[in-house]
Amino acid sequence: MIEKIRVSGPMHRILVVEDDPDIGRLVADLLRKEGFAVEVAQDAAAMDAALARVRPDLIILDLMLPGEDGLSICRRIRVNDVLPILMLSAKSDEIDRVVGLEIGADDYLVKPFGPRELLARVRAVLRRGTAQPSAPPARRFAFDRFVMDIDARQLASDSGEALLLTSAEFDLLACFVRRPRRVLSRDQILDWTRGRTAEPFDRTVDMLVSRLRKKLEAVSPDSNLITTVRSSGYLFTAQVKALP
Amino acid sequence: MIGRLSLAARITLIVAIALLASWIGIIVLLYWLYDTDARSTATAARQIAAIADLLERAPARERGVVLAAVTSDMLQARVVPAGVHLEPLDGPRVRDERTVQALSAALGDRLLAIGLPPPTEQQKRYPRLHAMAANAIELRIGLRSGETLVAVKRSPLIVNRSGTPLGLGAGLLGTLIALVALVFMHRQTRPLARLAAAVDRMDLAGTPAALPRSRTAAPEIKALITAFNRLQVRLSQLLRARMALLGGISHDVRTFATRLRLRVDQIPDRVERERAVADIVDMVHLLDDAVLASKVGAGELQEELLEFKDIVAAEVADRRAAGARVEMTVANDLSTALLGDRVALRRIVFNLIDNAVKYGQRARLSLSRDTQWIVLLVDDDGPGIAPDKRELLLEPFVRLEGSRNRQTGGAGLGLAVVRNLIEAHGGQIRISDAPGGGARISVMLPGFALRSA
Repeated sequence: MIEKIRVSGPMHRILVVEDDPDIGRLVADLLRKEGFAVEVAQDAAAMDAALARVRPDLIILDLMLPGEDGLSICRRIRVNDVLPILMLSAKSDEIDRVVGLEIGADDYLVKPFGPRELLARVRAVLRRGTAQPSAPPARRFAFDRFVMDIDARQLASDSGEALLLTSAEFDLLACFVRRPRRVLSRDQILDWTRGRTAEPFDRTVDMLVSRLRKKLEAVSPDSNLITTVRSSGYLFTAQVKALP
Repeated sequence: MIGRLSLAARITLIVAIALLASWIGIIVLLYWLYDTDARSTATAARQIAAIADLLERAPARERGVVLAAVTSDMLQARVVPAGVHLEPLDGPRVRDERTVQALSAALGDRLLAIGLPPPTEQQKRYPRLHAMAANAIELRIGLRSGETLVAVKRSPLIVNRSGTPLGLGAGLLGTLIALVALVFMHRQTRPLARLAAAVDRMDLAGTPAALPRSRTAAPEIKALITAFNRLQVRLSQLLRARMALLGGISHDVRTFATRLRLRVDQIPDRVERERAVADIVDMVHLLDDAVLASKVGAGELQEELLEFKDIVAAEVADRRAAGARVEMTVANDLSTALLGDRVALRRIVFNLIDNAVKYGQRARLSLSRDTQWIVLLVDDDGPGIAPDKRELLLEPFVRLEGSRNRQTGGAGLGLAVVRNLIEAHGGQIRISDAPGGGARISVMLPGFALRSA
């Protein structure tokens, strides 16, 4: 019932990080039967200890773990390592969000999964070999007729002309550019631009948006870069390209 | 139109209409009474002439009886001996001209004087009040005996010198005062409008933000705001508890399902094994549907600008890879941009294909767009759905066989969740007949159009 094709060459080592002992054991048994050397860790600390002993060829990492969760572990490993990672999640919708986060996992699998599915993914990731260390988050973006440099805090039009934005307007635009084509509520915008304050200042966001719109439209008229959505929030409609 | 009026405006309107109606009513009544007043004048003139005749003919000692007999609330008569000085009368009011002429004609040259009665001692103390309440006419008639008959005829209405009823000015003043009061009342209802706006903005999924408390508002409104704040906290706790519960159940069931799924492969019989796997898959989908439905209720959907045809194409590819018979036709240059939740839209397409394949063996999808709507048609090769069952099918936990038979899969939450999700996106779902005889499910989702402002 299970493919009996063994991976040729040296035996691959797999580290399974899974807090449910039953699943850990079942996955380990399955992989061992297929000729992998498997070790199981139940949390981040056990994983670190195992990693210190011997370097595996692949980590199968559960997203939800007691203590440090899978997302954080994945990010931590990716900072200075190219170790392939296969993420497991018990929440179907979580995977969709995780993919968007670009945390650097090589593949994802939603629970419940069948043995064939798991083996296929494991083999595919191993075949691809070492992962590229994830690029640091982009700091320069191009959209519509603009180029935005987050570090230099500059916004320029495609003709090279710099636009003068206030600090608050720049933060707001950066918030939009980092989350393009998503509907952002006023509350979310406030959270991301200045952190949660006790009192909601709905009107502040509205005023900032209208000022920012005017400045953008002076360069790119009728572009409708920031659209109001059913009075519930704002949407940045442009395709944003990250620049190196 | 009435639905748009504010509370203050409604009360203003009600009070204004009521005042206006009573005012008009009083004026109508007044002029009607005036008219009868004029008609009764001729009778009154004859009556007074008769009293004068009677007094002249009656013996001196009988006069008291005659006077007592004719005196009433409306008419008072007394006889003043000759030589006694009578105070001069005020001239008649404008509106009494007709009455005066009628009386003069009836009484002839016997009439000595006609006019407003001189004020009494009490009335002299409040001359203005007396001037306002002028509803009587005094007639002085010379008797042949040299005495004077003084008759005071009263009108049933209290009327002032200009002839309008006494209450009219008060009514007018009252109306003005009421209007001013309404302006103030309108200010009192403003906190209610602000409260309603704040309740609308309430985000139960997030941290509850206390509604603004107005210091100048009435105690009832303050109490209302406090109650709303408590309700908000309770609702938010309830909602978060429910989401946490569902999230917890979902996670744990998936953990159990994972173990089960891995163990099921030990079942030697192929058919049994495949059925068990299908059961696990259905179970997890049911759970996903329930979690998604509760998220719709909590307003937890995250909107993004998406190409719907990409989502449909991805689901179709997934199902084809799993061996289902799914076809899709879509124009390449079709723009299907819409605002929606990625997970929810995928679930809509997944459930529709799943439903068509389960009950109709084959799913045929076609995607089109008119100016406003993105239309997805899903046809199948099944027996179709009877018209009277269609609406029912979109309700939760209704399936057409009427049995909860797991053999045919699904607990009947699928289409209900689809409807829920579609409506949360501002769309519509309809069930009809496919041209080939099977069922056709049409989904309309609002396309995204760029708007400024």
